[in-house]
Amino acid sequence: MGFEAGLPAEPDDPDRAAIARLAGGDPEALEGLYGRYGTMAYSLAYRITGDATAAEDAVQEAFLGVWRNAARYEAVRGSVRTWLLSIVHHRAIDSLRRRRATTALPESDDVPPDVLTLPDPWGDVAARLDRAEIQRALAAIPAAQRQSIELAYFGGLTQVEIATRLELPLGTVKSRQRLGLLAMRRALTGETGPADG
Amino acid sequence: MADPGSVLSHAEVEELAPGFVLGALDPEEMAAVREHLASCPLSHPVLETLGAVVPALALAAPDTRPALDLGARIVAAARREAGPVSSPTAVTSTGDDATVRAPLQRPAEPVVRLDVPGRSGRGLAAWLDAFRRPAGAFAAVAVVVVVALVAWDLRLQQQVSDLDAYRTAVAQVLDAAAAPGGQLAVLAGASGDGPSGLAAVTPGGHVAIAMRNLDPTSGTQVYEAWLIAGSEPPLPIGSFAVGSGGTGALNASAQGSTGGSGTVIALTREPGPGATTPTLPILAQGRASAATS
Repeated sequence: MGFEAGLPAEPDDPDRAAIARLAGGDPEALEGLYGRYGTMAYSLAYRITGDATAAEDAVQEAFLGVWRNAARYEAVRGSVRTWLLSIVHHRAIDSLRRRRATTALPESDDVPPDVLTLPDPWGDVAARLDRAEIQRALAAIPAAQRQSIELAYFGGLTQVEIATRLELPLGTVKSRQRLGLLAMRRALTGETGPADG
Repeated sequence: MADPGSVLSHAEVEELAPGFVLGALDPEEMAAVREHLASCPLSHPVLETLGAVVPALALAAPDTRPALDLGARIVAAARREAGPVSSPTAVTSTGDDATVRAPLQRPAEPVVRLDVPGRSGRGLAAWLDAFRRPAGAFAAVAVVVVVALVAWDLRLQQQVSDLDAYRTAVAQVLDAAAAPGGQLAVLAGASGDGPSGLAAVTPGGHVAIAMRNLDPTSGTQVYEAWLIAGSEPPLPIGSFAVGSGGTGALNASAQGSTGGSGTVIALTREPGPGATTPTLPILAQGRASAATS
């Protein structure tokens, strides 16, 4: 496993330098950020929306959201990449739900979401893993747990909607998501506990 | 489900943690959890443990390339929002580690103001009346001309961005071709004015492609690149979308192939990423050969 738990951010982190430039009103700093994360962001948006135009719109809105809100970025809440991808996720899910129009929409504002930027240093460490490691970890968890996580994260469905779609009790969906996330964490870190449940 | 306006207990928040970190709660529940977190001084270990996994999920999405000009469009949009004085930056002091960046002054961009009927206070009648008078008609024509010039300028900027992006992609192809054992292929369609570009394959299986004159993709459509070695079935390398600029690029690893001399690199348009067999026709192709002798 190619990471160390609790690894502090590099002081000369180019991402944070870019955020500082953006906060100072320099839009050219977006070039570097896009060069590092543009494909990653588009891949996520495309996985969620399944539509090139919608994915482009989500990515563009996310990068412009970073540009507009750079001064509000808080390093303690996670890496710039985690922050950016959480905005991409938010925008793409928003686009998906608008097209589906069956789920109550989140408040539409320009404030980056905080759901995915909890102050856990391990989160950033996980985000430094490469794509292959993460895809292997996701593939390694039981299929039913993976399905309930993917329907939520990539499909934008609520737990109630997942339960309806899969014809399962709501409690089963909640349980599968909890166990699946724990299993994925164990697969990524090599931890042996805590016990499922 | 949380009642609207209810205050959740600490235990209830931990119970809702999986749905919260995945964004899969109803809006009322999401709001209730946020409200609790904003005021609760205690730690939330379950929430933090599960939430830490979520950023990794973002990287589980299959690699899909955006249109080559997307980055340029984003930066251009930010520039427009920044206004006339905030970019580009320059290094104004390079002493030790105290590098200071400050915005460069640049000429103010022309501002075109249009009086919109019903909003300007003049009203539609007054606005139309201006057209009836010779001076007003001249002003209206001038406005139309200026608007057309601005639109032309924006289109020109877009073309320059596309050209820059294509040039960068070509440079990456040439870098790959220049690597020891690198192969270079010139890709072209059956007709002379169709898609064209360059591709390079390294012995390690890295493939770089730069294309232009492609039709823009729509919906889930992508361009898929294929490696065809001898009588082996075509091997999908990767896909990319194309915007209005008609340019596209790909940097990918061809798993299971080293792309030896004589390998054909081909491009097709597919209904979505992940194709395992090419959808005909082949839009452009070329045979790889040693870039250096």
